[in-house]
Amino acid sequence: MKKPMRNVAVVAGAATAAFALAVSPASAVPSTVWTVNPSPANFTAVNSGNIVLSVNGIAMTCTKSNASGTMQSATGNPATVASISAIAFGATGAPCTSVLGNVTTVATTPWTVVAQDYTAATGVTKGYVGNVDAKVTVGACVFRVTGKASGTYTNSTGALAVNSLAGELTVVSSTNCGSAVPVGAKPLFKGTYLVKVAGSTTIPTIVGSNP
Amino acid sequence: MRGPGPGPRPSRVRARGATIAAFVALAPLLPAAAVAVGTLKVDTALPYVCTLPSGPQAATVRITAAFPERVAVGEEIRPTDVTTTVELPAAAVADLTVLEAATVRAETRLTVGVTQNGQRAEATWRGTSPSLDVPADGPLTLTTTGDVPILTTGGPGDLSLTAGSLGVDLAPSTADGAATVPASLSVTCVPAEAAEGRRVLATVPVSPGATTGEPSAPPTPSTAPSSSSPSSSPASLPSPPPSRPTGREPASGTSGASRSPAAGRTADSGPQAADDTAPGTGAGTEAPRPPAPTCRNDKPTSKSLTAYITGYSNVRKLNGANVIPVSCTLIEQGDPEIVFLPDGVHLLQKSDAELSYKGRRQTPPFEATFLTFGFAPTTATLVLEQVGPMAVESDILLVFPDNIAETYIRAPLVLRVLDVRVNGTRLDVGPSCRTAKPLSSPEPDPAKYPGDHLVLLGKGQLLNGTDASGYVLTSGGPLTGEVTIPAFENCGAGGEDLDRLLTATISGPGNHLKQIQGQTCAVGVEVPTEGQCTEDRQPYVVPKPAR
Repeated sequence: MKKPMRNVAVVAGAATAAFALAVSPASAVPSTVWTVNPSPANFTAVNSGNIVLSVNGIAMTCTKSNASGTMQSATGNPATVASISAIAFGATGAPCTSVLGNVTTVATTPWTVVAQDYTAATGVTKGYVGNVDAKVTVGACVFRVTGKASGTYTNSTGALAVNSLAGELTVVSSTNCGSAVPVGAKPLFKGTYLVKVAGSTTIPTIVGSNP
Repeated sequence: MRGPGPGPRPSRVRARGATIAAFVALAPLLPAAAVAVGTLKVDTALPYVCTLPSGPQAATVRITAAFPERVAVGEEIRPTDVTTTVELPAAAVADLTVLEAATVRAETRLTVGVTQNGQRAEATWRGTSPSLDVPADGPLTLTTTGDVPILTTGGPGDLSLTAGSLGVDLAPSTADGAATVPASLSVTCVPAEAAEGRRVLATVPVSPGATTGEPSAPPTPSTAPSSSSPSSSPASLPSPPPSRPTGREPASGTSGASRSPAAGRTADSGPQAADDTAPGTGAGTEAPRPPAPTCRNDKPTSKSLTAYITGYSNVRKLNGANVIPVSCTLIEQGDPEIVFLPDGVHLLQKSDAELSYKGRRQTPPFEATFLTFGFAPTTATLVLEQVGPMAVESDILLVFPDNIAETYIRAPLVLRVLDVRVNGTRLDVGPSCRTAKPLSSPEPDPAKYPGDHLVLLGKGQLLNGTDASGYVLTSGGPLTGEVTIPAFENCGAGGEDLDRLLTATISGPGNHLKQIQGQTCAVGVEVPTEGQCTEDRQPYVVPKPAR
């Protein structure tokens, strides 16, 4: 298990480079007031580029994924600024794939979007997608993943870039998956979603402040 | 049936004459994927010269038939409504009245040349007529009808059918119903010079695509395809060996089978994004599931999978491609295990599989019609029987950020011949006609895998966050191999030994095989993935043969 973990770490490293992610300590005073605009609002999110889940170096690619939920202003740090009520991986005619076969992922929702750090100069909020819980099936191999996945939200583009760090997600149950996906394995979740206010082309914004 | 010239047939086969056709095995099984297209109706009257007892006489031969307007490679060209009408001149009638014939029945044998891309084969169109009164004077018009061989080709290009010589067997009877003496009269007719340039009955374009793609006419690979024949001479119609999946293009190689509309649908409670049209909108456009043999595992474990597999097989000797029909495979999925090898981290998975047809480890019986140069068309009923364990072994190299997979399927299979018909006449092959040994393939690791068995290789990969392509374990895809068909044994009955004939015709090395496995149905999981299983947990996805 050591070696694949190292591979996974490499995956994470390479991936992060693209997105400047990570839950680093805030550069200034942490935000405690999170202003979502509009608020409250329903949102939809559609993947931009492929979504990749990987476990022990085994990659699973989704060319289609989308989500929906509600968002609202919040206070505190960390603060839940959105709730994902539904998230789909794969679509009719475009299932998620892997070399083990097509991958079916059924999410148990709600998941959350939690804000932790805001950089006013860039309009980028750092945080994570929380309460992640999904059942993944490939043939007779079925496993369940729970945890969280770090990411950023960029106001100018509406891009929610998810790029989980090693250890944030954990396989909590596994059947017929052998040592490829044992309980305790640490999957990685990576991909970008473009968020819009439901039924519109409006990109919602999240602004953190500390009055 | 006589060809216009001597063909390059092996003399030992020639000795058997036209009654025993060369028939091709394993491969030539093109499914009767009849895609309804337009019909090409032919009605041609040609001048012939017939050799009668009294000497050569001019005659008119009229041929009517209907053909599909066009077909795709592998699809049947089934001539229908075939009639052959011979108008024999008064002199011929005189030859009959000399015999005191009052009525006459006729049997005709029209030689039809089949050409495509410079390759040539022949078919015999046989017909029979009802009993007719012999006219006191004037010409005698005989109209015969009958079924004629179905054609299928392994390559694209216009396929032309040309009228050739015509044999007419007359069976006259006297007024009191007794046979005349002699009891029959055979007349040979050949196209007259004036017919030159007009002998082409039909030209049917054969397109490379598997189907015409018309949504209104979904292809219907039948469960026991009556099939087809490479209308090829030994000189080879282009039936290219199956190409290997390149897999380099994302999402292109994962095969229609595994990416059918129904496969892998997820979370139908998924949200609808305003600018995403895919989820939830495809249901109304899904094609109906094509017919397929029952494929159920009635005692499933949590690791049980079922899948269909079908595909082309070439018979090198005859340069023809045929279809092994949609067959059910029961799989017990092995656990995927991480293994550290000198060249990197591997994921190994070994699963057990078996063919299943009505409780037996075999493919469904399938019919193959063969048309080979110089021989009569032959229809054979064949079956592939599994005679030992079938192993599905995958080895996936995990090299960030790519996954490279190779899956070997090894199966000992014998080819059994159930029935052979030559021009509709049954040739008794006996109950135990089969290859003496299992089919074999070049084995990359003979020390580990001894014995004769078929080897199919599926290659798949997932490159840097793109979709997996090629063959992937539980979702299927293309598998290729090369098979040697061994000698036949126990063929023949009543003292007639057909072993050598079948062996000479069919057996040999280097026959390419390309099979397509469909998406598996995980039978034993709590909630099967939508689109992968039918309601009674058979595989939903029925693959189509692909080149």
